[in-house]
Amino acid sequence: MSAYLELQGIRKQFGDANVLNHVNLKIAEGEMVTLLGPSGCGKSTLLRCVAGLTEIDEGQIILAQKNIVHVPPRNREIGMVFQSYGLFPNMTVSENIEYGMKMRGASKEERRKRSDELLAIVDLEDKRHHYPRQLSGGQQQRVALARSLAVQPKVLLLDEPLSALDAKIRKSLRTEIREIQKRFNMTTIFVTHDQEEALIVSDRVCLMNKGNIVQEGTPEAIYTTPRTEFVARFMGSYNVLTRPEVLSLFGQVDSGSESFAIRPESVVLLSEETRSEAIGTGKHIVDGTVHSTTILGNVLRYSVLAAGVRLTIDALNDSRSLRVGQNSPVSIALDASRLLHLEKEGA
Amino acid sequence: MENVKKAGWTHRVVVTVLMVYLLLPLLATFLYAFAKEWQATILPERWTLEWFSQLFGDVRFLDALWKSFYLCAISVALSLVVMLPAVFVITVYFPKWESFMKGIVVLPYAVPGVVAAVGLIRAYSQGPINIAGTAYILIGAYFIVILPYMYQGIRNSLLTVSAVDLLHSAELLGATQTRAFINVILPNIWPGIITSTLLSFSVLFGEFVLTNMLVGGHIQTIQVYLYQRLGESGHLASAIAISYFLFILALSMILMKLGQKMNRGIEG
Repeated sequence: MSAYLELQGIRKQFGDANVLNHVNLKIAEGEMVTLLGPSGCGKSTLLRCVAGLTEIDEGQIILAQKNIVHVPPRNREIGMVFQSYGLFPNMTVSENIEYGMKMRGASKEERRKRSDELLAIVDLEDKRHHYPRQLSGGQQQRVALARSLAVQPKVLLLDEPLSALDAKIRKSLRTEIREIQKRFNMTTIFVTHDQEEALIVSDRVCLMNKGNIVQEGTPEAIYTTPRTEFVARFMGSYNVLTRPEVLSLFGQVDSGSESFAIRPESVVLLSEETRSEAIGTGKHIVDGTVHSTTILGNVLRYSVLAAGVRLTIDALNDSRSLRVGQNSPVSIALDASRLLHLEKEGA
Repeated sequence: MENVKKAGWTHRVVVTVLMVYLLLPLLATFLYAFAKEWQATILPERWTLEWFSQLFGDVRFLDALWKSFYLCAISVALSLVVMLPAVFVITVYFPKWESFMKGIVVLPYAVPGVVAAVGLIRAYSQGPINIAGTAYILIGAYFIVILPYMYQGIRNSLLTVSAVDLLHSAELLGATQTRAFINVILPNIWPGIITSTLLSFSVLFGEFVLTNMLVGGHIQTIQVYLYQRLGESGHLASAIAISYFLFILALSMILMKLGQKMNRGIEG
């Protein structure tokens, strides 16, 4: 992969705390990369370092073959959208969008033309003379997006752009952002703490923890093959098991790992008939009791206690799904090939 | 704001009581300033403009009013010129210093006026900076008196508009820091600045203890003048109080109007 933006050994300390530990990252032109992680993992700091809003202690930032570490933010040709929108309240929508072009000395006609184009793209043509406070949160964020695209930056940085919006707007805007990013073939770094958002919008996900990128890969790879316990827990709903727990469920295990993970949909809840069918298929059948059942729309989520281990099990919520009350005895089928062997943290 | 609930009668009563409490003394002063004889009746028996004509006939009154005005104006302007960039720099670039600054700016509250005045006179009546009894020491003291109002006012306006985010947005769009400050930060914090300026001005205009002790014998501000003539006649003092109240009122209204004009984008 030829890197358009390359971060080499970025280190940043705030006081005694290491916020970024020699972070390396290569991003290809037109790629959308997500920095995902819990709050305080350093993802926003990394983004601000790329923008030049935070100085780095060590490392190189190469953008289009040029080291930009000592270039001030205004000359980096990097656009950024903030969680709090950062729109100028004293300017109208079109004045906001044209501000960057004005600073770069573009003519009035040029500015007008470009802002009209962008307003059409973000679907806010009728709001050009409105002030930011007259717009909804979603509209304001679209203006912010248009404003940062107006100056044709080399890289677009999105710092949790959807976190301040309500769920419905968040879902539609993330699709819109992805479409616009593809349309402009814009090299983009998207920061979020929401794993669903990350999986949906990005070409590549970098999961960060404690100032390191702990795993990176396609959304598919990150979701299906978490490397460590942290990744498995963060990507959500994985059953993370210790070695003794795995031994009590499977009887034996052919690896030296200390921790394991299994997806809730790979465990099957058995009824009396299906139990007899399952015998002899090579699956491990364990008896247990249902602790609770939750309906998550099209999915039923059971919490089952089997062989002293609490497991989450997901099943499609249809006519065939098992309706079982609390504390009813059930059996579950476990497939040893679905068990993921996790590496030690930091390995 | 369509869904604001209509105020119930309890709310009205509370507001009315508060207004009466605040305005009654003012009304009494107002009436007293126009009263010729007012002893055994609810309202004055006879009215007169005598006190006002006496007041405005006195050169010292207009002189004191003008002196107060320009001393306060200079102090507030000076404070604005120093504090605006200072608070901006602290809030944006050195947020760690904030807690320290917060402590510093409330010091004027902690030191009683009399103590401050005595200390200042002692410190500045000898040595290299011998300015006791002059307007300079007064302006210096005024600067300190309004420090808390100016600091808090400017800081709160900066925080309210998330100045740091605005500044960063502008910088990433290619603006220099100075340019970003002028066309993005300043227009947005203006309403807050006007309020702190007005508040500071009114506080200084009504200041007496420090003024009287520092420069009472040399410079006659409106408060010093008021104090001197208080003994002569209550009616006259009322007339002075009313005149200066109206003066401040007019000044505030002009400044407010000015602020609104500059911010049609923000309020509107």
